This record gives sequence, structure tokens and C-alpha cells, in this order.
Amino acid sequence: MSVGESGVSEFLRSYLTVGWFGIAAVVLAGLLLWVASLVRPSRPGHEKLLTYESGVDPVGEGWSQSQVRYYIFALLFVVFDVEAVFIFPWATQLERYGTFGLVEMGVFVFVLLLGLVYAWRKGVLRWV
Amino acid sequence: MSLVASSAAAWTAPVIDYHALAPEIVLAVGLSVVLLVDLFTAERNKWLLSVLTGFTLLGATLPVLTLAIHDDSVRSLFEGRYVVDEFSLVMKGLFLLAGYVIVLLSSAYVEEGDYWRGEYWFLLLTSLLGMVMMSSSRDLVSVFVALEFLSIPAYMLAAWRKRDLRSNEAGVKYFLLGVFASAVMLYGMSLLYGVANSTLLVDIGESIDLDGDFAAVQALAVVFVVVGFAFKVSAVPFHTWAPDTYEGAPTPVTAFLSVASKAAGFIALVVVLLTAFPAGRDVWQPFVWVLSALTMTIGNVFALRQTNLVRMIAYSSVSQGGFVLMPLAVAGGAAGDAALRAVVVYLVVYAATNLGMFGVILAVSRKTRSSDIASLGGLFSYAPALGVLLTIFLASLAGIPPLGGWIGKFAAFQALLTDATPWAYVLAVIGAVNSVIAFGYYGNVMREVWMRPVPHGDNTPIVTPSSLQIALGITAVATLVLGILPGVVLHFGDIANLVGAFGG
Repeated sequence: MSVGESGVSEFLRSYLTVGWFGIAAVVLAGLLLWVASLVRPSRPGHEKLLTYESGVDPVGEGWSQSQVRYYIFALLFVVFDVEAVFIFPWATQLERYGTFGLVEMGVFVFVLLLGLVYAWRKGVLRWV
Repeated sequence: MSLVASSAAAWTAPVIDYHALAPEIVLAVGLSVVLLVDLFTAERNKWLLSVLTGFTLLGATLPVLTLAIHDDSVRSLFEGRYVVDEFSLVMKGLFLLAGYVIVLLSSAYVEEGDYWRGEYWFLLLTSLLGMVMMSSSRDLVSVFVALEFLSIPAYMLAAWRKRDLRSNEAGVKYFLLGVFASAVMLYGMSLLYGVANSTLLVDIGESIDLDGDFAAVQALAVVFVVVGFAFKVSAVPFHTWAPDTYEGAPTPVTAFLSVASKAAGFIALVVVLLTAFPAGRDVWQPFVWVLSALTMTIGNVFALRQTNLVRMIAYSSVSQGGFVLMPLAVAGGAAGDAALRAVVVYLVVYAATNLGMFGVILAVSRKTRSSDIASLGGLFSYAPALGVLLTIFLASLAGIPPLGGWIGKFAAFQALLTDATPWAYVLAVIGAVNSVIAFGYYGNVMREVWMRPVPHGDNTPIVTPSSLQIALGITAVATLVLGILPGVVLHFGDIANLVGAFGG
């Protein structure tokens, strides 16, 4: 074993730190809220009880429905996002990976393009 | 910085053995072609897709054969992360042929339904590619990628009949429990990587010794990984998704899930247990023992009470999984080779028999439009061929001697007796009792076929499409030949050496 004699206790102790942090976080936050509730005046109003939504007045219920067609955009976004995530580091090292890298990237882009072609032929790129 | 600089200087393109990867490449090209052809052909030409899928699978079988004939049998790619050995070749052959039979089983079904045909073939090929990759994966990352590769298309296939509520239910249950199992397994894998500092299964095998400071973490990792695979092979108590998914999914997909998907789960389990945890057997042997005993018994007891044929087959397939687990419960000891052989033999035989079983169900349900056991009443009187075939497959599943299922059970019991420990004998007795119980529900179906009257006196003969006839022929011949000439399948078991197993 690479860690040495007291491996288990060290291993567990490092998790103990996480536990202490958790307890400290809960206690600290609770304490602050409790102290604040002692010193602050309590004057609830309509404006104050609104759900905070980045300064915009909330509309409708919490369980509101969103347009199902947006999931196509999410999926297509993933296609291009993954493409970018892999192409960018490859492009910075283009010369090092040489022909092998070029062919590999070609295969990768082809597979992603299949997804795009599929979306195009199924007509999901048109907003009806 | 120095690390980056040194690795920057050292990069060389990996040497790729294209012959070893040929089955995967053929499948990948084939599934791209199927997808593109589906997108650019008119609806009336969509029958092309099933033909293309069949040819892709046969085309991928050719390099498997040439690799098997080639003398230097072990080809190791990517520093041992992807190994083409005899074990993987036998399993690849099994997946590709099972896939071909499933294509034959489903072509009529898919043509007659008004659902998305192109996607069906594409997803089927993708899932099979994942299974073929699984046979060769010898690294935590490639095992996991292959597992997701084969599972995700299978989730979608289960929900393929989009407007049918039961099919939706099947897909959702399969998906939720599948990703849950993946999460549990990933947690176990992360612990393994933490302990071994490597994702290569053979390296992990050297680090997992259940000794020293991390014994508890190692044991936990082994248990989590086994639990993850237990979901995939629907071992009790992780089987709850199986009956609902099997009943709700389209019947050819059920055949696919219960044969190919299950076999892939078992292969992954075997590879991980034997190459990554050979020294961890004190943890997984008792665990697999309990899983096996529970799976056989509970699967059987529930199957006895079913009135729906597909649901009965679902529980029967859970119980058959217990028989595959049975030799694995002693695989870490002296009986290791016999256990590996038993698993391979059982999977081959089970695939032939169960696919045939689903072939008959598909043929009969074309007429009866029902999957109740009672709808088989008097099958022999108006469709004697199907009645005889169904009896053969049922008898093989029950393990009656001249048929394939018998040789599978024989190999499994032989592994237990080779181990010759009290626990192995106890498990063998549980297995034997379960074989007898299983005959209860298989025999019940036979009684319907041979002795009961035809429901509503409807004696119109069944028209079986030719693709289904070929599938029934292949599976029936395989079931008979494997039973009458057990040397054929035992030979496959013998050559199926898993490189790197048992820490060797």
C-alpha cells in the first residue's frame, strides 16, 4: 500500500473534515438567521413575499409548462457543444497529431454530422 | 509544466490492428449506411433496411471467422484495453448471429406496424455494436462505454411503440432502473480507480487483494460493481424491471433484451470478476451465491403464477439467469475454467432456445393477437409444426436431455461439482430443485398446446412469413444439434479462453 501504516484512519479523517465542515456550515447559517430574526423588525408585504426571480415579477405557477419543442434545441446544442469541446484542444495540437489525428477527427465529425442530417431530414430544423 | 512538455514530445500515433477491429468497423459503417438510407428513401422502399441490417450483421461475422481461423489468437490493442481473444470472438459470433435471428424475427413485425422502421434497425445495430465492443473491453472506461452503448438504444427500442402505453411504461422502467444501476456501478468503479490508480482491469486485479488499509473500500467497490451488473442481468433482487419491460416492449425487442442484452451483462460480469477481482473472491463468491439461489427460486416461483405467456417467459428468463450465475458462484476457485466454460455454453444454448421460443410466440400471436397462455390451446391440432417447435424449445428451457438446454445445465452443475465444496453442493441441490419446479410452468404450456381445446373453435391455420420460418429453422436446428452433439458447444466453451483471467 502506498499510503503507509495509518492509511485507514487518515482516509477516514479526511472524510471527518468534510463532516465537520458540513456541521459548521449548518450551525453558522442557522445561527446567523436566528440572530437576524431576533434583531430585525417583521413587516411582511406583498412585494417582499414575492419569489425572487432576478428582479422580474414571477409569472404563473412554479409548475408552469414549457414548450416541448425546445428539447430539440437542447439536443442539437449538445451535438455542437461536444463537437467544439473536442475539436478545440485537437486544433491547438493539430501538427503533433498529424494525419492520424486528422482522420480521427474526420470520423468524429462525420458521426456528429449524422445526428445533424437526421435532424434535418426529420424536419425538426423548421420552426412550425 | 514539465509533465505537459514531456508528454508533448512523446506522442506517437497508436498502432491499430484493423483486422482485429474489423467486426466493429463493419458494424459502424453498416449502421451509418442504414441511418442514411432510411433518411433518403421513400416509404415503399423501407424494406431495404432490414435486408441491409441482415447483411451488415453477416458481413461483421466474416472477420470474426477469419480472426478465429488465424493462428495468433490474442490481439491486444491500446495497451491491453481492448483485447480480441478466443472468449471475445465466441461472444462476438454469438451476438452477431443472435442479432441476425432477431432481424429475421422482427422484419415482418416491423413491416406490419406503422412505426419508425428506420430507427428500429439503426438502434438494433447500435446496441449490437455495443455488445460486440463489450466482448473485447478490458478496461473500466471501455467496459462502461460499451455498457451504455448497448443499453441506451435498448431503452429506446423498449419504448418503440410510441403510442402504446405499455411500451412507454416498459421503456421508462427499463431506463430509470438502468441508469440507476449505471450510477451504482460508476460509484464502485470510481472506488476501484481510487484504490488501484489504473482503469486497466488486469492492473486492478493486482491491487484488489482485500488486504491492508483499503480492504473495506475494496470490498465495497466489488459489491457495487456486481450490483450494477446484477441489474443488467436482472438477478433477484434487482429484477423488478424485467417482467414489466418484457411484457410492454415489442415482442422482437423482448427477444433481443432477454437474450443479447442479458448475455452482454453476463460477459461484462464474467470479465470483471475474473480479470479484475480474482483475489477478491471472498467477497463476490458468497454474494453471487446468494444472488444465484434467489434468482433461480424467485424467478421460478413467480413464473408458476403467470397467465400471460410473455410475462411467464420474462420470469423464466430471470430464473435462467440464476442458472448462469450458478457456476460463477464458484468461479474464483479451482473450478474457474469449468465455470467460465459453463457460462459460455449456457449463454450459447440459452440464446438459441429463447430466440426460438419468441419466434413461435410471434408466429402464433399473428393469428391470436393475444399473449395469454390460454390462447395457445390446441395449437398442435391446427399448427402442428409450431406446436412441435414450441414443445422442443420449452423442453430445452426445462433442460430435458436430448436438447440444448440440457447440456447448458449439465455444464453448470459440472462446474459446481468440480469445486466440490459444501456450499457448491448446496447450490447444486437448490439448482436441481429449481429445475424440477421450472418444469411445472413449462409443462403447463405444453399441456395447453397438446391437450386443451382450441379457444372459440377457431381452426384457421397460421400463416408464418418466410423470414420467421428461417429464424425458427435456425434456432430449432441449433437447439437440437447443441443437445445431440454436445461436443460442438463444449468445444466453444473449451476454446473460449479469457486472457488475463484468474490473475494469469
